[in-house]
Amino acid sequence: MSRQPEMGCTAVDELAPAYGLGALDAPEARAFSAHLAQCRKPHSEAMELIETAGVVPMSLEEATPSAALRARIMTSVASTPQEHAAGRQPAAAPADGRRRWWSMGALPSALVAASLVAAIGVGAWGASLNSRLADREAVLQAIASADAVYTASGPAGDGVVVESGGAAMFMTEDLVKLNPEQIYQLWLIHSDGTIVAVGTLDRTDGVVIVTLEQDLGAAVSFAMTVEEGRVEQPTGEPVLTAQLGA
Amino acid sequence: MTEARLDDAWLAERVKAGEARALGELYDRYSGMALATAIRVVGSREEAEDVVHDAFVTVWRKIDRFDAGRGSLRAWLMTVVRNRGIDRIRSRRSTVDVDEADELSLLRTSPNPTWEEVVTRASTDELRAALAELPDEQRRAVELAYFEGYTYREVAEITGVPPGTANGRMRLALAKLRQGLSGSGAAASFAVVNANGTEEATQ
Repeated sequence: MSRQPEMGCTAVDELAPAYGLGALDAPEARAFSAHLAQCRKPHSEAMELIETAGVVPMSLEEATPSAALRARIMTSVASTPQEHAAGRQPAAAPADGRRRWWSMGALPSALVAASLVAAIGVGAWGASLNSRLADREAVLQAIASADAVYTASGPAGDGVVVESGGAAMFMTEDLVKLNPEQIYQLWLIHSDGTIVAVGTLDRTDGVVIVTLEQDLGAAVSFAMTVEEGRVEQPTGEPVLTAQLGA
Repeated sequence: MTEARLDDAWLAERVKAGEARALGELYDRYSGMALATAIRVVGSREEAEDVVHDAFVTVWRKIDRFDAGRGSLRAWLMTVVRNRGIDRIRSRRSTVDVDEADELSLLRTSPNPTWEEVVTRASTDELRAALAELPDEQRRAVELAYFEGYTYREVAEITGVPPGTANGRMRLALAKLRQGLSGSGAAASFAVVNANGTEEATQ
């Protein structure tokens, strides 16, 4: 770790307005904070300037958030560990390595852009994973760091399609059981009607996470069908679907 | 400690204890102000809602870093909102070192119950009027820094003045804001530290 530049009392007093308004670059701001944290002088004038800068946003006319925003935040919060609590509840490592895609960084941090519909669906779906803490944490962390999350549902069950950093995944839990010779096959459907096979599921119990064989690209829908072995094109009606890009 | 601040401190304790409902109450209390700030920073309402979302999740995640003895929860929240928004617009510009700005937020407030009371009592109209009364170049310096995320050196370049003058304009603006809101003459106590000399000091 590089040593941060030191800042003296004079510089702190001089740069307090810029600091209060967030107008120092990061190294300067860190040095400023570090100085205030350890300096015995009160720097009362600087502190008053910093404090005053806090009123700037309060001069704005309040805006009314969409009805969706609160639900979206509360859904995210429900699946986000608090920093100070994280040490008390370390997540158990999964027995079967299903979290490898997460821990290897296949899902880089990105901005959450889930729609309300997706968020609410994920919340209900995620809550049902309580009995499998490790899986639940992996799934919800993936969702929290995703670029987009789409809910999927149908007669076979529920799940989510998660897009992040150019990769896409399908996550589900406890799908309807199939006959031994059957599998679930996953598809992306494009606006011109093209249907592309993007993976299969060979088990239905518990949490299942599948990395799709290609990213969502310009696909407009995701679908899952029941097949007897992998096929080039679906042979039946979808048993689970998701609208993409909504 | 004012009633509002006591309430906020209590809310913060509940959030710290992991009570998601308390974060919901915080949202109900300040989401309008948070969204207004985010819209002013990033421009689009849709992106602003993403910023507010990220900010509240950050508050939830990092609530342990908030110390009610060092400032108000509202001020901390607004700083996190502002910084999340600025992170976005700075990443578009890629002109400065983008940091996880909320790490730096705690020291941006200070425990001054009198000032907190002044701010709590002031209406949005009064706050807006206080800003509007600033000389154009001072208000511009504040807006470029706070809402558009420029450093004081960048503000200096944009406005064609030395960095010391840009910082001096911010100093005068904040001093006048404080004076305008408190009527206490507090601004007079601010010695103008301006590398450029007397121009700003005489305004």
